[in-house]
Amino acid sequence: MASHPIVSSFSLDGKGALVIGAEHPIGRAAAVTLAEAGARILVASREPGTDAQLKETAKAVQDAGAKAVVRVQNAAIRADLSATVDLAAKEIGRLDIAVNALDAPWYGPADSADDSTFDRVFENNFKTVWMACQEEGRVMLRNGSGAIVNITSILAQRGVHNASLYCAAKAAVLNLTRALAIEWARGGIRVNALEAGWLDEPASPVLADEDFKKSLLKYLPENRLVAPKDLGGALLYLVSPVAGFVTGESIVVDGALMCRV
Amino acid sequence: MILDALKLDGKIAIITGAGRGLGRAMAVTFAGAGAEIVAAARTKSQLEETAALVRETGRRCLIVPTDVTDSAAVNAMAQAAVREMGRIDILINNAGGGDDSAGKTIEEITDEQWRRGIDTNLTSQFYAARAVIPQMVKQSRGKIINVASGYGLRGGKHNYMYACSKGGVIQLTRSLALTYASNNIQTNCIVPGVFPHNEEMIRFFKGGKFIPVGRPGDDAELGPLAVFLASDAANHINGELVAIDGGGLAGGILPTGAIPRLPN
Repeated sequence: MASHPIVSSFSLDGKGALVIGAEHPIGRAAAVTLAEAGARILVASREPGTDAQLKETAKAVQDAGAKAVVRVQNAAIRADLSATVDLAAKEIGRLDIAVNALDAPWYGPADSADDSTFDRVFENNFKTVWMACQEEGRVMLRNGSGAIVNITSILAQRGVHNASLYCAAKAAVLNLTRALAIEWARGGIRVNALEAGWLDEPASPVLADEDFKKSLLKYLPENRLVAPKDLGGALLYLVSPVAGFVTGESIVVDGALMCRV
Repeated sequence: MILDALKLDGKIAIITGAGRGLGRAMAVTFAGAGAEIVAAARTKSQLEETAALVRETGRRCLIVPTDVTDSAAVNAMAQAAVREMGRIDILINNAGGGDDSAGKTIEEITDEQWRRGIDTNLTSQFYAARAVIPQMVKQSRGKIINVASGYGLRGGKHNYMYACSKGGVIQLTRSLALTYASNNIQTNCIVPGVFPHNEEMIRFFKGGKFIPVGRPGDDAELGPLAVFLASDAANHINGELVAIDGGGLAGGILPTGAIPRLPN
């Protein structure tokens, strides 16, 4: 069997990776992808009370042949994030890679959303990402290297009904990614994003409506929703050593939907 | 296994502009991921050198001398690939480049010069896509990767042909992606930033100090991105542009390194 030197150059052997939001399907799939590529993983939650789901993620990571350290935390609390990032250095050797899979869908009409809704949607979808990047960046700047990937959505680029705050928060993540990429470029940190198309999420309130789902599937160029594992290849590329010249970029994984708009 | 999804074993990849520079590097990189190569370019002797490098990796390489601006020649290239290699899994539309219209004022550019540039950079990619699509549709599978440029997105001062042709490449990518999504053909686009090919260009770009990461790109960095996009690891990525530019397109509204003064 001939060798595959190019494929080997994508390997994450010996790297330490933190995945925040690993109790959810997107974070779990991200952790498994990085594990398959050889990284040691610290799987951290977005919310407390998720021990069982995190353990399931850790088991999937171990099944992929990698070390998994579990950390139940609240990503909305600065001290928690800070301690999680410090734990990475201790338990997985070094914080080479960080994936922020922080997402809490919100749908509601703009004219009746109250101020507490704003605070909640922006905290869960944006402030957590901002704080996570800050804490991860603090350690990576000290190391002089690192790769961060923020997972956001195509809602960052276009509007949809009844999702004003959610679209705005997703856009905030996208442009935070660009601004941090510029600010930290000479510090050796690459900051990139992934934008998922319409995800196959059992929890999604919009997809619970069968008629909506049917018309959406018809509209999608590939007539299918995005599965969490569809993001794996792009995630691996962005965090791998071969992407050393890629920063401030976002890869859309949506099966050509954005070509329509 | 995600790393296995990157392997291109048994896949037939046509690479245009494979006689030198980036195209040659791509050919060797694709062979290093397991693909068999169909190398196309104008000059046979250069293709033979590329083929020798590919064969060193243990993979086959068919050379097809081709003028990519001649649609009959491009069709013959696709036919040769199917006849000799059996199928076409991947097309890398890499041929093209700048010309000496860059830097000229708009009045100085002749019709002939404009047409030649657009033919080389944009029409060639259209011809090659048109030539391989029927085979890919028959296979119900295919990957097309177009090479554009940051100038496909930003304007270029006294740089009409290059900016317009590369912008066209981006739109060609999106239209192919949308049209053939249901045939399981994914078309994506690489958007390189500064990749100097010689000492003069390195000097021109001042060693990359105007690039956010502080250095220019290296040709060897483009191959792995193309391999990723050509692989099963990118099966749901379609119609997308991936910039590989050291942060160039993420900033640019201030000169690189300019830091707004902090308020007291």
